[in-house]
Amino acid sequence: MIYADKKTGVIVCGATGNQGSFHIDRMNQYARSIGGRGVVAGVTPGKGGQEVHGVPVYNSILEAAEAQNATAAVLFVPGSAAGDSIMEAADAGLDLVVTITEHIPVHDVMHAVTYAQMRDCTVIGPNCPGLFSPGEISMGIMPAHLATRGPVGVISRSGTLTYEVVHELTRAGIGQSSIIGIGGDPIIGQTFADALERFAEDPLTKAVVILGELGGNLEEEGARSAELPVVAFIAGTTAPAEKRMGHAGAIVTGGEGDANAKIARLRDLGVPVADRLSEIPAMIRGAI
Amino acid sequence: MKLKEYEAKDILQKAGIPIPRGVLVKKGSDFLVSPDIEEAAIKAQVEVAGRGKAGGILMADHASIRDTTEKLFQTTIKGLPVEEILIEEKLQIQHEYYLSITIDRSQKAPVILFTTEGGVDIEEVAQKNPAAIRKATVYPLLSKVPGYTLRYLLNGAPKEIGAIIQKLYTVFMSQDALLAEINPLVMTPDGLFAADAKLILDDNALARHGIQENRDLSERERMAAAHGFSFVELNGNIGVIGNGAGLTMATVDLINRMGGRPANFLDVGGGADRVRVAHAVRLLGSMPDVTVIIVNLLGGITRCDEVAAGIIEAGVSQQIIVRLAGTNEAEGKALLSSKGYRMLDTMEEAVTAAVEAAS
Repeated sequence: MIYADKKTGVIVCGATGNQGSFHIDRMNQYARSIGGRGVVAGVTPGKGGQEVHGVPVYNSILEAAEAQNATAAVLFVPGSAAGDSIMEAADAGLDLVVTITEHIPVHDVMHAVTYAQMRDCTVIGPNCPGLFSPGEISMGIMPAHLATRGPVGVISRSGTLTYEVVHELTRAGIGQSSIIGIGGDPIIGQTFADALERFAEDPLTKAVVILGELGGNLEEEGARSAELPVVAFIAGTTAPAEKRMGHAGAIVTGGEGDANAKIARLRDLGVPVADRLSEIPAMIRGAI
Repeated sequence: MKLKEYEAKDILQKAGIPIPRGVLVKKGSDFLVSPDIEEAAIKAQVEVAGRGKAGGILMADHASIRDTTEKLFQTTIKGLPVEEILIEEKLQIQHEYYLSITIDRSQKAPVILFTTEGGVDIEEVAQKNPAAIRKATVYPLLSKVPGYTLRYLLNGAPKEIGAIIQKLYTVFMSQDALLAEINPLVMTPDGLFAADAKLILDDNALARHGIQENRDLSERERMAAAHGFSFVELNGNIGVIGNGAGLTMATVDLINRMGGRPANFLDVGGGADRVRVAHAVRLLGSMPDVTVIIVNLLGGITRCDEVAAGIIEAGVSQQIIVRLAGTNEAEGKALLSSKGYRMLDTMEEAVTAAVEAAS
């Protein structure tokens, strides 16, 4: 268990929307099946007093947190409002905000993540599938039936790639301790390095799969500081070159970003990198 | 979205950064040049790297400005037609500096780059003399660049540049910019001028600045974006539809690895409904080289039953190989099997089948 567990009370922001309402139901089906608290409150400004799948809706995160003793939130609000919701959650004293929303302006994320850090609130995402700890909690949109409890942690920049690997691991009889989608945006809250640090403190986790893609250098940064054994996969080795953000962008990241160069750097650090997703179970079995 | 030089300069000027005197000329329209401009830079407004070297910037004395402008309108710069030209008074250059602000992903903060070796390819400076580039991040919740940061960046360069950095920082933050660059920033006997400027805005924030959509997109990309998916053409014969950039890229990678030729990259995006999926399948179905389509979808926020309905609704002639797993998987599979679609359980099986079917 990392970040949250069975006892965590969860707020869903954007509760009355299509996605919010659908996933409140999903998350609570899972919580009921394992005896967890699950989603205890919803928030949609102006819709306080309503109910979504039996969950009471409030006008603000602070109201919801106080009324239902909740300490974490999952955001399904629109991109233009998500930065604001992250700050509202941090201000309401929540410990953890999982941001599913995509298409949030980068400056909004930059401000919100910095603000949350100042208030000791952990941000996962944005543009991610969230957090799933088999047998403990579902905080996001990962399909529960793909996962099974076990010793392998999974950290990923891509939602569906995560499901694919979790599916492969489960089929190979290898369970997962926690699965974290950290998101694919230029700026994210928790990074590979942050999540690896949490996994290192988790007695259940023996090894971690990191799923990266072209762009940035967060994979290498994580691998460099990892205490647990790590296996990696990087998507985009045959993708057309990423549209580069002018010369300045390339200089800031030191010319990093190309998937093949990233794989070479990970191998230089001694990290086994799978060429195919299907190779991951055998590689991780050797590490646990 | 990339702004054109004159658009970027307009924003800089409004923020108080001096720009050279100039006039924008559109192809086919008449123009007047101020009589006291003795020498001018004639600059094609095209977004290409190395515009100067590619012949996109010509110098002319007063008498030949008109002819030079006409001549530049008749050329193409790296394949792009010249539709607009900026005619600017030539500056008396005493020194050229480089200044830019972008976002540092790992520091999660704006980062300012400054060097006294401006006017050239900044990547070349980074390679040959990295110590000449000064780099500093700014805590994102500050509204101004602190004085000590300016002093560090300038490293003895004229302190008037500090005021320019401050103004460019305000532009970067208020415009939701991903890049704000002045290269060169020129010192003249009349003070500092932004001789060239680049501004890239965040596509996710365009609406906030009154811009409807990114005009940099091609016609097909625009259509794809209108339906909510991202699309890149790749010249092969296997159409690829996935959800999520990572899984779709991994599918394209695996097809290549197995000796197949992907025709495209198409990520239907999160939460795709039947309409979006049907549009995606039809788009690939309309590509003449595509002989087989692989649909590799893992439902999280996307529901498999919606995907299945979309595939059936599209009704294209090519063979479709489907791999579906995740949210509402059973409902989706039942729908497709009732219509006789070929379904495989794993990504590797599905890709193998697609590569075989296409060869």
